[in-house]
Amino acid sequence: MSKKQALGNQALESQGARPFIELRALTHAYALEGGGEVRALQGIDLTIERGEFVALVGPNGSGKSTLVRHLNGLLLPTSGQVWVDGLLTAHPSSLWKIRERVGMVFQNPENQFVASTVEEDVAFGPENLGLPPDELRRRVDDALKLVGLTEYATHPPHMLSGGQKQRTAIAGALATRPACIILDEPTSMLDPLGRRRTLETLRSLNQDQGITILLVTQSMDEATAAERMLVMVRGRVVSDGTPAEVFGQGQRLREWGLGLPSALEIADRLRERGLNLPAGLLTVEQLASALC
Amino acid sequence: MLISVEGLGYTYAPSTPLARTALRGVDLEIRQGERVGILGPTGSGKSTLAQLIAGLLRPTSGHVLLDGVAAHARTADARLRRLKVGMAFQYPEHQIFEQTVPREVAFGPRNLGLNDAEVEARVAWALDIVGLDPVEMADRVPLTLSGGEMRRLALAGILAMRPPVLILDEPTANLDPRGRQELLTRVLTWQAETELTLIVISHNLDDLARLAERVVLLVAGQVAADGPAREVLSDRPLLEDASFDVPPPVALLQALRQSGWAVATNRLLAEEAATEIAQVWSSTGGMV
Repeated sequence: MSKKQALGNQALESQGARPFIELRALTHAYALEGGGEVRALQGIDLTIERGEFVALVGPNGSGKSTLVRHLNGLLLPTSGQVWVDGLLTAHPSSLWKIRERVGMVFQNPENQFVASTVEEDVAFGPENLGLPPDELRRRVDDALKLVGLTEYATHPPHMLSGGQKQRTAIAGALATRPACIILDEPTSMLDPLGRRRTLETLRSLNQDQGITILLVTQSMDEATAAERMLVMVRGRVVSDGTPAEVFGQGQRLREWGLGLPSALEIADRLRERGLNLPAGLLTVEQLASALC
Repeated sequence: MLISVEGLGYTYAPSTPLARTALRGVDLEIRQGERVGILGPTGSGKSTLAQLIAGLLRPTSGHVLLDGVAAHARTADARLRRLKVGMAFQYPEHQIFEQTVPREVAFGPRNLGLNDAEVEARVAWALDIVGLDPVEMADRVPLTLSGGEMRRLALAGILAMRPPVLILDEPTANLDPRGRQELLTRVLTWQAETELTLIVISHNLDDLARLAERVVLLVAGQVAADGPAREVLSDRPLLEDASFDVPPPVALLQALRQSGWAVATNRLLAEEAATEIAQVWSSTGGMV
């Protein structure tokens, strides 16, 4: 095949009905101090469709953060390919288009603020897209409304609570009107109220706005809120299914170093003691009604 | 070492328009060997209290006394006492700076003037407690570790100093479930062997249920409750006022009790709740 044909095929492919995110044999290696390398991702094939709500779990060092940093080109593959909405992250000319489509929110909200008020901070991303002032205003207002922070628009970000800070960061990601938001352990530093508000915000963005959500989390209770769950172990995706399917593999979960949601753990222990309970009780409410 | 907190108040940026009072009128006494959890929503003053106990901040009002000596004082006496307090910060990247993992852990013990063999032994011991593999970690650059690995490393650096008082600020945030379980078990074992004073700051009720025998609830910089973990962590109205939910096992037991099960509701851990439910279930002959 000639080079021209190859490029033509690529252009054709990018127009077709393809998954929103597609990883093909993705590997990534980090260099070690004094030579050598760690292979953080070992040949991952994965697709994520528009509108999905996916939770990504896995032990520390399993490659979760490395994987998600590939999805908006913060990291580039050592080998393999990452396609986002038909665009290849390895093409420098695609990067900004990809970053308009995929927003990213990190763990520590303190490290993400660039401005002295909430609205200026939220405006930072879309401002860089060169939007006219009235469009910028509209996007910032819409984003703050979606995360429920309209009344905090002129507050300094560092005076907000942890949950409000994370929702400000989510609004910043939203203001570029992305099709997808990726969050890397966004609730690990939050108190339970901040956690709950952040999760409610994500759920409504997914259900009402159709935004694709990829949530990296260490909380098994949090993962039950997703419709699809991915488990990573040592740079590979070892399980992919609904939370009920993934948590249904009890013993394997323990081998992977993961736990169970509280309700499933209690239910398992009750079965060991002779109580007869149905499978798939993911929440305390479900377990309580099964027992009553 | 006896830690006495008396009428403690702290204000950030006092006498400026940005002044913010983080703590007011806090009284606490923590004895050697106690396991105390400090619970509170974001912004309730938990981390400020910890830094005051470690002598890292100077009180705006009141005192923190370590065996009778002000924790922040610039005297040899106070310095010796401060050395007994080890603190692992909430954001591990704030305390990590060395080139390799073993050097990071060795930094503290080396500064204590220990010989090479002892330093090496402590590094191995501390890495083991936090669940980092010394071989795998030998050449790793600390700032390239994952979030959970970095948290373990920061804790190992503190543990290697073997402080008689250990303050952990959100010790299990970012840890995977197995890592968390193992870390909690090993810290508890070490605590029991050495009569360590353990002060755990967290908004994770399950961590507190496992680590603390006593829980101090801070709300808006004041002590809202101070009592046995079992009582504080199963007190729904108290916790809800502070925007916390009861731990899931307690929520389940309370729901069962409402629909007629004669279960105790102050079982904080999944295994305890399961035992309680199973006992009531079998005492009624499997009929509830």
